[in-house]
Amino acid sequence: MQPTLRDGDLLLVRWGAAPRPGRVAVVRLPDDESGRPRPTSVKRLVRREDAGWWVERDSPVEGVDSWQLGALPEQDVLAVVLARLWPRPGLALPDPRE
Amino acid sequence: MLSRLLARITEVSAHCDLPCGVYDPAQARIEAESIKAIIGKMKANQDPEFLTRAILIKEERSQLVKHHLWVLWTDYFKAPHFEKYPNLHQLFNEATKLAGGGGGTKAVSDEAKADELLAKIDEISKIFWETKQAA
Repeated sequence: MQPTLRDGDLLLVRWGAAPRPGRVAVVRLPDDESGRPRPTSVKRLVRREDAGWWVERDSPVEGVDSWQLGALPEQDVLAVVLARLWPRPGLALPDPRE
Repeated sequence: MLSRLLARITEVSAHCDLPCGVYDPAQARIEAESIKAIIGKMKANQDPEFLTRAILIKEERSQLVKHHLWVLWTDYFKAPHFEKYPNLHQLFNEATKLAGGGGGTKAVSDEAKADELLAKIDEISKIFWETKQAA
């Protein structure tokens, strides 16, 4: 999620909060093609589709997102990120592509 | 209820580690699959904003395919590999062209082109895994 988030950032999240487009969320991703579980992840919520939430990564050079995985079922959006507490405390985590 | 109110710290990731170490043609394949999915989505959604974003992201992912293939080409494969597989240079040239702007997936939104790209990456992948077995 660079440049928005970096390794080791401490985030304040609200578990079970209502997802909204543009927010960063903690999500559960489907297992990879070898059946290995993917780690619980942070992704950008883009839009609500019939199949669930379409999520993207802020960094185009790393990771996977809905362009590969499709929309995530609603129950797999676990929490909404409210702020980064440390370092660089901040409420707004704007999408670098906007 | 109380536990829901208490703060807890959970580790989350923004991306997953590749399963097989530093080099893996899966990296290029995943981006190419993304390109194919983008083209499919473009047929199903005519919203101009969505289409604009889809084209932008298709461009970006096509560039990533080229990048990942170039890394394999220049960093992973060594002279003995090119001796053993004389078509390897040609394969990389054709694959990166299929992701490019001269009729490749940057320029056109054609699922057949994305399939050609995936097939070409698959040919490279086969050779890659043969060299891994031999190592």
